[in-house]
Amino acid sequence: MQLTCINCPRGCELTVERNADGTVKVTGHACPRGEAYGIAEMTNPVRMVTGLVRVAGTRRPLPVKTRTAIPKGKIADVTNLLANTTVLPPKRIGDLIVPDACGTGVDVVATANCAV
Amino acid sequence: MDDVIIIGAGVVGCMTARELSRWNLKVAVLEAGSDVAEGASKANSAIVHAGFDAKPGTNKAKFNVLGNRMFENACKELKVPFRRNGSIVLAFGDEEVKGLEELVAKAEKNGVPVEIIGQEELRRREPNVSPDAVAALWAPTGGICCPYELTFRAAENAAANGVEFVFDARVAALKREGDAWRVECADGRVFSARAVVNCAGVHSDELNNLVSSVKYSIQPRRGEYLMLDRDEEASFSATMFQVPSKMGKGILVSPTVDGTVIVGPTAEDIPDKEDKATTYAGLEKVKAGARRTYPGLPLNKVITEFSGLRAHETTVGDFVLGEAPDAPGFFNALGVESPGLTSAPAIGAWLAERVAGSLDAMRKAATEISLDVGEWPETRKMSKADLAALMQKDPAFGRVICRCESISEGEIRAAIRCRVGARTLDGVKRRTRSGMGRCQGGFCTPKLIEILGEELGLRPEAFLASRKTAPAELREAAAASGAEEGTWDVAVVGAGPAGLAAAIAAREAGARKVVVLERDDAPGGILQQCIHNGFGLHRFKEELTGPEYAQRFADRARELKIPVRCGTMVMEIAPGAPHVVTTMSRRYGMNEVKAKAVVLAMGCRERPRGALMTPGTRPAGVYTAGTVQRLVNMDGIMPGKRVVILGSGDIGLIMARRLTFQGAKVLACVEIMKKSSGLMRNVVQCLQDYDIPLLLSHTVTDVEGGEHVTGVKVSRVDDNLRPIPGTEMHFDCDTLLLSCGLIPENELTKAAGVEMDPATRGPKVDAAMATSVPGIFAGGNVVRVYDLVDWVSRDSEIAGRSAAKYATDMH
Repeated sequence: MQLTCINCPRGCELTVERNADGTVKVTGHACPRGEAYGIAEMTNPVRMVTGLVRVAGTRRPLPVKTRTAIPKGKIADVTNLLANTTVLPPKRIGDLIVPDACGTGVDVVATANCAV
Repeated sequence: MDDVIIIGAGVVGCMTARELSRWNLKVAVLEAGSDVAEGASKANSAIVHAGFDAKPGTNKAKFNVLGNRMFENACKELKVPFRRNGSIVLAFGDEEVKGLEELVAKAEKNGVPVEIIGQEELRRREPNVSPDAVAALWAPTGGICCPYELTFRAAENAAANGVEFVFDARVAALKREGDAWRVECADGRVFSARAVVNCAGVHSDELNNLVSSVKYSIQPRRGEYLMLDRDEEASFSATMFQVPSKMGKGILVSPTVDGTVIVGPTAEDIPDKEDKATTYAGLEKVKAGARRTYPGLPLNKVITEFSGLRAHETTVGDFVLGEAPDAPGFFNALGVESPGLTSAPAIGAWLAERVAGSLDAMRKAATEISLDVGEWPETRKMSKADLAALMQKDPAFGRVICRCESISEGEIRAAIRCRVGARTLDGVKRRTRSGMGRCQGGFCTPKLIEILGEELGLRPEAFLASRKTAPAELREAAAASGAEEGTWDVAVVGAGPAGLAAAIAAREAGARKVVVLERDDAPGGILQQCIHNGFGLHRFKEELTGPEYAQRFADRARELKIPVRCGTMVMEIAPGAPHVVTTMSRRYGMNEVKAKAVVLAMGCRERPRGALMTPGTRPAGVYTAGTVQRLVNMDGIMPGKRVVILGSGDIGLIMARRLTFQGAKVLACVEIMKKSSGLMRNVVQCLQDYDIPLLLSHTVTDVEGGEHVTGVKVSRVDDNLRPIPGTEMHFDCDTLLLSCGLIPENELTKAAGVEMDPATRGPKVDAAMATSVPGIFAGGNVVRVYDLVDWVSRDSEIAGRSAAKYATDMH
């Protein structure tokens, strides 16, 4: 499988192959993050999701993110969940917005401050 | 240097300032709080005492009686309410009737007209009074007023005559230096003047004791009050006192000039000069005391309770007025407790004479004195016809913000815009009554903070941190633009990641005075709207979103106490030694910021549609990607549902994913070149992940729609980038996003005479990020458009350090 690594602007072109013993071999990466990305893309591709939730009492939304990357297949579920989420101010960076989003085991947290 | 510095902007300080403004003197008022009338002047009984109970021969007696006589005229000049409703002192039982007789004797000595009235006459005049009151003293010269309005209008009139008001300036030290007083504030600001007038209320003893060997001691004496809603039936005509004790004048029940009823105060000596809490026990005392006068006290009409602190002097027990015997040029208005409000006009006039006399000052001619008190139309007091005419002239007076007191938007804006304008919720409340009615701000607070935010260039929520202290941004800006601002070491233009990084680096490299000028209403620059992740891998070794990245720098700048003046647009940079940066802001108007070194950090802007020469009509629905990023991520507005993106710059790619997340359908991303101009990783994670086609070697050849975009035509291009006939595709869409590159924003740079680099479209810089003009440095996207914010902050730090070195080498 041919991939472009998404970790940094360098965008290494990776070749990812599955060995006979089931392990995954990555070539073309310039750093360990590229190798990890290649293996994940072959076995369980994941992405960070950033988004917006509504804040009660204002039209200005609050930006949020998944604390870590989640499986790609769950992205649509999480963005739908965020579209239907309204929080009460105030919120600080890092405040928990949704625990265990859509069964991923990953929390959604605030990425900006908002006052009352 | 000033001629006179008045410390304290309470009623005594402001009345003194107003009197001194009629002399040819340069006068400044330094106030520890964020507004006038923040101490006892905002929390007292609002009574203009007749003067029958002050001990004959004391300053209290003399200034009370004199002040009472001056009060009516002062209120007329200042256009504030005053009513001579008379005072009544009630006697319950024979013992207290003797007390009334003692008061009559005192009144005669003080020259105050009084008479004793019997129970029947009392009941006739005041139907709500207790049947247990057997006789009463009637003092027709007693009155009522609005103490904070009086204070504020006195300040306005003083300001109209040239007095400068400096807020958030707590005086920490006073020193005699030659012929002048050096006044040092807790925040480091320094002022000097030939004379100082101490009107510092409960803190007046501390100031006196700094400079004089004649020591005084102020004991804060707390008084708690209840305020009752308007009700003609449940009120009194006169101010109802009880026979006084040595702790004060006892619990009174009085109508106010606003039609409400005030009940109180208690009198309790407490250790803390700032403790203005009400207490359960205190309020019970108020209720019990008031019920003696008014058995039917309607507690269901209470709209608020509050307390104030009297500045009770314990050594002499009287007002201490005049020049300290061993500190020439230091004048006291110390221990001014009740009847201080009544005495204020007299104290102000008397002190001004003394101070002006000691400075050999001349009185201004009558024609030189402004009578302006900055008043605005008060809609609740106007006739329907007048109101209709006013609304026609300014519709803001037709939008009611405070429904309880019927206060319009026009009045609130006027209260913020006037000379000594409101900068806090309490400031608006006391100037307009908005929030003083029966809902106590429940309905109007959200609207008030919005108007405050608009007028003062801050986010509304900034005004929710404190009711009485101005937001930190305003205090810092005011402190920075204060009288003795002097020259900054480094001024940074822009508070995005480049500007903040440069300012922090300059400060850390030893520049002591660093200021950041920002046109937006908050720091962070474009990162505020870049809510996606991918920032900070190099610098912080973690993947942050834009707002998180910006916040780290904003927090660090705050830790280093670097003032960031938001809502401030730089108009011009005139190179020199120092450089002169002309700024414009809603709050402070035109300003000149002088700085030894300047760092340019204005960032970049997007190429607009016109620069792309896309054919077709000019309908709504065509935006640059960054505009939509702001609309969606910060304003919560989705501009459309079916989107085509022209250009494959990173912002366009990021927005393809964002709009997909927010429920829109992104039909295609169209790129004229053979490869994406954005990063490959963004092509992967923003387009490929969501099956959005990337049409390379294609461009938009027609934009369709009259009022609004209805579709676009896309054609393949040949190697010379010319559309190939017959390759047209049509997309039905309601939005066309342009993501065709960024251009460094360098209008200021060019106007300052800095040499430009035609390749980068930014200034030419050397390895130290110095431009061709000595002392002007540049960092971030203003120099060239970067891929990564980590490199923006890294190179801007070099610019900041170079600027600091340039500024310190100049010393």
